[in-house]
Amino acid sequence: MGRRFEFGYILEFIPKLLDYLQITLLIVAASIALGLIVGLIVALPRMYHIPVLKRISAVYVSFFRGTPVLIQLFLIYYGLPELLKGLSIDASKVPVLAFVILTYGLHSGAFISEAIRAAVGAVDRGQVEAAYAIGMSGFEAFTRIVLPQAAAVSLPVFANLVIANLKDTSLAFTLGVMEMTGKSQTLGMTTQHFIEVYIALSLIYFVVSMILERLFLLAERRMLKYQPELAGHTSKKRLLQGLFLPQFKKGGEQA
Amino acid sequence: MIKLSGIRKTFGKQEVLKGIDLIVEQGDVVAILGPSGSGKTTLLRCINYLERPNEGEVAINQLKVNVKRASKQDIHTLRKKTAMVFQNYNLFKHKTALENVMEGLVIVQKLPKRQARELAVQALEKVGLGGKLDEYPSRLSGGQQQRVGIARALALNPEVILFDEPTSALDPELVGEVLAVIRKIAGEGITMIIVTHEMAFARDVASHVVFMDGGVVVEEGPPHQLFGTPKEERTRQFLKRSIQEWSYSI
Repeated sequence: MGRRFEFGYILEFIPKLLDYLQITLLIVAASIALGLIVGLIVALPRMYHIPVLKRISAVYVSFFRGTPVLIQLFLIYYGLPELLKGLSIDASKVPVLAFVILTYGLHSGAFISEAIRAAVGAVDRGQVEAAYAIGMSGFEAFTRIVLPQAAAVSLPVFANLVIANLKDTSLAFTLGVMEMTGKSQTLGMTTQHFIEVYIALSLIYFVVSMILERLFLLAERRMLKYQPELAGHTSKKRLLQGLFLPQFKKGGEQA
Repeated sequence: MIKLSGIRKTFGKQEVLKGIDLIVEQGDVVAILGPSGSGKTTLLRCINYLERPNEGEVAINQLKVNVKRASKQDIHTLRKKTAMVFQNYNLFKHKTALENVMEGLVIVQKLPKRQARELAVQALEKVGLGGKLDEYPSRLSGGQQQRVGIARALALNPEVILFDEPTSALDPELVGEVLAVIRKIAGEGITMIIVTHEMAFARDVASHVVFMDGGVVVEEGPPHQLFGTPKEERTRQFLKRSIQEWSYSI
């Protein structure tokens, strides 16, 4: 399939794909933001053992964790408008991107709720007691004492979620969204240089993941400065090395 | 004045407190002694409702909180009038020594930051940690952490400070520095209730000693009486054993 491999195309494709990086990042940012809100709402009934809501949360989490995100995309994109039609709401004008963001938001919300639950559970009970003992309300104790500690502890898990989400967004092309993977399909079709376009594409995903990973490490170090031994180790020097690793370029040439 | 009346508490089927009455006068330093499982820590935690009693009334001066009618607001007010020093320090891990002490002043007492900072620095200086203001708890020794815990309680200027075995989690060589700080603030007329295993300390510092066993107050009185001429057989037994253990360790 396709034409003879030509290295030059890789360099040519990279900037063309980068034009669509913003769509990919938009999906990631919007769906993670949505996922945080959903995740917190879903985690609360399970943390505070609220009877019926607890069950609903559990079902929601197991559905979104237990089915492939590709199927979720189809279900929401094709299923939700049908459902809304039943309520006589017309969803045909809603852009595809909104469905994509909704799906990834709900998907990551399930994982985020589990991360929140685990992290809050990991905060020592004594911390809350100390907060109550000095006269804080439940809300103050949660927002000022529990949440900052839970957030710091869960940052590595959260980083994984964001990076997984970034890579999952590549499936959005199946609904015809013109993000990076969608664009690479078209570029491949029109030029018949499929291998080059996928190499360019994977390089971009790789570098973006790498940058995110490093940024999260920095954030983790910052948030865990009260207990540095718990934070992942990185230094500014290693951060730069990670981004501009010599073998990284070599890998491109060999391929 | 703090007055506990008829405090009962059960965990599952086990009755841990079987109707405790206790009066603590303003400025008293009360030591609560007793074997493990006697309910002394539970009693202390009932005072600020970290444990909710099943029955009874906690009164601090004009504020009377009866379990039957205790509203969230009552409990909140009760907690604002008290402060607690924990066995495991329970310093806020993500805050520096100074921030730990300021937290209650700023968030609960709504003092302006500058004033809170001044009070917090004063309290930390009083416990001998004026040089460790910006250290996180993980960088402090157990004894230093507990002194921050004491400063955090002290700065709130509560009607009573509740000490829950403040030296039990400490290495033996760090116990002294914490006891010295408690002794110092006891001399300043702050009302304190101390659950402790440190017999010598209780004898020297307390103005009133309470001996608990099996969920009841067995005997109470001034230290010279309780340690010198205990009336109850159970008290004598306990003191004999504890003081023996204590002399072993020397």
